[in-house]
Amino acid sequence: MDKQLDLLQGTLDMMILKAVSLGPLHGYGVLLRIQQISKDRLEIQQGSLYPALYRLEHQGWITSEWGESENKRKAKYYRLTAAGKRRLQTEAEKWNRMTDVIAGILGTKPEEV
Amino acid sequence: MTLWARFRSWLRATMRRSRMESEMDVELRFHMEAYAEDLMRGGVPRSEALRRARIEFGGIERAKEECREARSANFVESLLQDIRFGFRMLRKSPGSTAAVVVALALGIGLNTTMFSFVNALLLRPPTLVQSPEQLLELWLRAHGTSGIESVLPLTFPDYIYYRDHNQSFSGLLAFDGDPEAVIWNRSGEGEVVHGQLVSGNFFSVLGINTPLGRPLLDEDDRVGSPRPAIVLGRSFWQRRLGSDSGVVGTNMMLNGTNFTVVGVVPAGFAGLLIAVEPDFWASLTVVEQITRDTGRLTNRQGHWLLTVGRLRSSVTAATARAEMTVLSHQIETDHPDTNKDLNADVYAATLVPGPYRGYVAAFTGLLMAVFGLLMVIACVNAASLLLARATSRAREMAIRSALGAARGRLIRQLLVESLLLAGLAGCAGTALAYWMAPLLMTLKPASLPLTLRVPLDWRVLLFTFLASLVTGILFGLTPALRVARAQVAPLLKDESQSVGYRKSRLRNALMIAEIATCVLLLIGASLCVRSLANANSIDPGFDTQHIAIATLDPGSLGYSATKVRTFYAQLSEHIHALPGVSAVSFVNHLPLGPAREKTTIVESRQPSSEQKNHGVPADVFRVAPGFFDSMAIPLLQGGDFTQKDNEQATKVTIINEVLAHQLSPNENPVGRRITMGADAESTEIVGVVKAGKYRTLGEDPIPVAYVPNLPGRRTLVVRAAGDPSLLLAEIRREIHIVDPNLAATDLETMRQYMSLPLFAARTTAVLLGACGILALVMTCIGLFGVISYVVSQRTHEIGVRVALGAGRHDVLKLVLRQGLTVASIGLTLGLAAALVVTRFLSSLLYGIRPNDPATLAGVSLGITSMVLLACYIPARRAMRVDPMIALRYE
Repeated sequence: MDKQLDLLQGTLDMMILKAVSLGPLHGYGVLLRIQQISKDRLEIQQGSLYPALYRLEHQGWITSEWGESENKRKAKYYRLTAAGKRRLQTEAEKWNRMTDVIAGILGTKPEEV
Repeated sequence: MTLWARFRSWLRATMRRSRMESEMDVELRFHMEAYAEDLMRGGVPRSEALRRARIEFGGIERAKEECREARSANFVESLLQDIRFGFRMLRKSPGSTAAVVVALALGIGLNTTMFSFVNALLLRPPTLVQSPEQLLELWLRAHGTSGIESVLPLTFPDYIYYRDHNQSFSGLLAFDGDPEAVIWNRSGEGEVVHGQLVSGNFFSVLGINTPLGRPLLDEDDRVGSPRPAIVLGRSFWQRRLGSDSGVVGTNMMLNGTNFTVVGVVPAGFAGLLIAVEPDFWASLTVVEQITRDTGRLTNRQGHWLLTVGRLRSSVTAATARAEMTVLSHQIETDHPDTNKDLNADVYAATLVPGPYRGYVAAFTGLLMAVFGLLMVIACVNAASLLLARATSRAREMAIRSALGAARGRLIRQLLVESLLLAGLAGCAGTALAYWMAPLLMTLKPASLPLTLRVPLDWRVLLFTFLASLVTGILFGLTPALRVARAQVAPLLKDESQSVGYRKSRLRNALMIAEIATCVLLLIGASLCVRSLANANSIDPGFDTQHIAIATLDPGSLGYSATKVRTFYAQLSEHIHALPGVSAVSFVNHLPLGPAREKTTIVESRQPSSEQKNHGVPADVFRVAPGFFDSMAIPLLQGGDFTQKDNEQATKVTIINEVLAHQLSPNENPVGRRITMGADAESTEIVGVVKAGKYRTLGEDPIPVAYVPNLPGRRTLVVRAAGDPSLLLAEIRREIHIVDPNLAATDLETMRQYMSLPLFAARTTAVLLGACGILALVMTCIGLFGVISYVVSQRTHEIGVRVALGAGRHDVLKLVLRQGLTVASIGLTLGLAAALVVTRFLSSLLYGIRPNDPATLAGVSLGITSMVLLACYIPARRAMRVDPMIALRYE
């Protein structure tokens, strides 16, 4: 496994939204999915997951309901809302723009200055 | 949209808290079990898997706390929690809590009381007046003189000119600044009432509507109206006329003239002048009828009218001032002999007239600063106490911190506790202020017809609220920050709390500050109290213990000169006949009062060309025969006036020592002739009396001359063999017997009269004295508390020392040394501050310098002994402790 990347709070929110956009998940499932879609290069601090989930729910990007897990136990499932979908899109665009700008700066050759 | 969603989420969270809690619990547990199962699938044993799951997750309580915070259901709930917990903590140590609350309540209460006076005097606008911010006062300023004497009110002709020629004001009103005391003839009995004379537009400019009847109008403001109108004051109407609504249209006879009552003002309206609540308002033009002072309306040198104008909406104060200056120059050009060098000046109209606001503000500012210092002492006591408590709760805070409480939350908890203390103190302080304000009003000399209302209105309550808030934060913040910063781990380990006694610089600084402030207040208080003692012992030159006085003005009823003379002769006989009366006489006005008459004395035998340059300015008193006897003023040379002098107004005079010394230092002045003022004839000196005080108690010797020609308005002086207060009722009765139409004003004993010149000295002495005593008590208690605490912290150390062979007295020295170091620094700071600050008191002090060495030494000694005492008792307790017990003490 590569070294853990430092995750800022904003990117964590984005990761969660993306993970949930692919289908309703409970908290542990979100954790696993992020690990999965990052191809095991990203591991989230377990303690910071639930505060982030609650915050996102409070802000209205995701919504929750109780359901049954695979092994018939009660679990809370989170789903992306329409507002959340729009939010994910805006955040993704912002992120792409940001990375473009920074890549541009870092890729400057001495002749271009 | 999200705002609404957020609000809904918050609402849901607040209302279904317990359900939310259990749901969160289930969710988090599910997570950990799922993770543990994954590990178990990988071959890890169950117990190990569970343990690792828990460790991986991190602090579950912390996570829960952050989840709760994410929902923002937290704030109100945790605040309520803090408040409940705070109350419990306060209840746990009721003694020290009570001490702190009492000290703070005293501080806040006194400051609130003082502020309520500042509010009543300087901040409140006149009640019921429409848009008071549009009103400007107009005054005249004389060139060539400075200070308060250079500012003058207007004369009547000046007022008319300004009123008719200005463009800046939509209305310019004028009123008499002195309350007019008139005799109200109520079915044959004379009673004194006080009224205010105002211009016809007074009520309309101020926007006052009368609920009963009508206000005064411009039509009423005509000279020679047969039945002039008056408007009654509300409290007078309620008190003396029984709130009779049929009073409109009835007559009142005032000073012999019939007036018609046309209305009653609304409750709460008392005019524009502070502390004056007139019984009635009448038009300016009746002034000559009421006071028999002919020419008042045409006199260009009698300055008696306070003038206020309402600015037009487009005009600023600066524009108005400029226009008034132009008008004043016009008047100066028209009347150069009377209005020379008189410029107009405008001030914002307030209850205390503009030119005087500065003095009132300075005096009240001084008092507020003094009470503020007392508040500092109370705060320091509270801070020391909380600091000590916070240190002993460090362990509790450490545990909370480990359980996941954020640092801000800990600080908030401690702040809530200190704000609770401050809040309790604030409520108690408000109650104290409510009770104390009327108490302070009793310091006012009884003879003044002044009523100062000091309500606790919204400004005062806001002040109390802010004061409590600020003090709570001030004394609560430092201990809170100190504790929240503490390291968690060492405190959680099972170490004894008294990890040695820590020398706290903060604690020492607080003690030093407290002692310094206490020293400053004590010095100020001692100076003022000694000054009052000095002032009381200043000999005013006459007897203050055995005299009763009363002021009469039969001329105001229109009596002829003969009738006046007869009245006084009869009165004199009647009163002489009373038992216990040794002497009776009259004077036009008493010394040390507000009235003054001046003249210039020149020696008659000097050539007239020199007389103009060598005139001695002197004060004049007009007295009847027997005056010096009644007042117990020793007659040094010559003799008293005779009855013949009195009746025929012969040109004789009796002078005081100072004048005698100035006129003829080496010879007996009796028999010499002098010229007084603008007299054509010369006056013969027939006697010399001992000098006394005539204008203020602190004055340098003044030359004074007494003459026998008395006006109709006189003050009766009665000398009693015993207690003069027993005579007051009898004097009133005799006046009534001789002439029931007359009533006396200012019927009181000389002692009561003397409270007026002593007013400033007495007030400062009482207030500062009380402050000083409170400061001393609070500092003593505070020091005692802190030193006891420190000594108890060091009990372990003391046990060690004693076990190692220290003697009892070494222990005592240990404690005393610490106390005395702090005391000496505090004392030095306090003395230094006192030397700088007491300079401001010098104008109020009689016969004592601001840096009087005896006072400074006395206070230093007192403070040192207090510190020694505060150290001694805890030290004795420490000395007696069994070293074995002390060693085991935690």
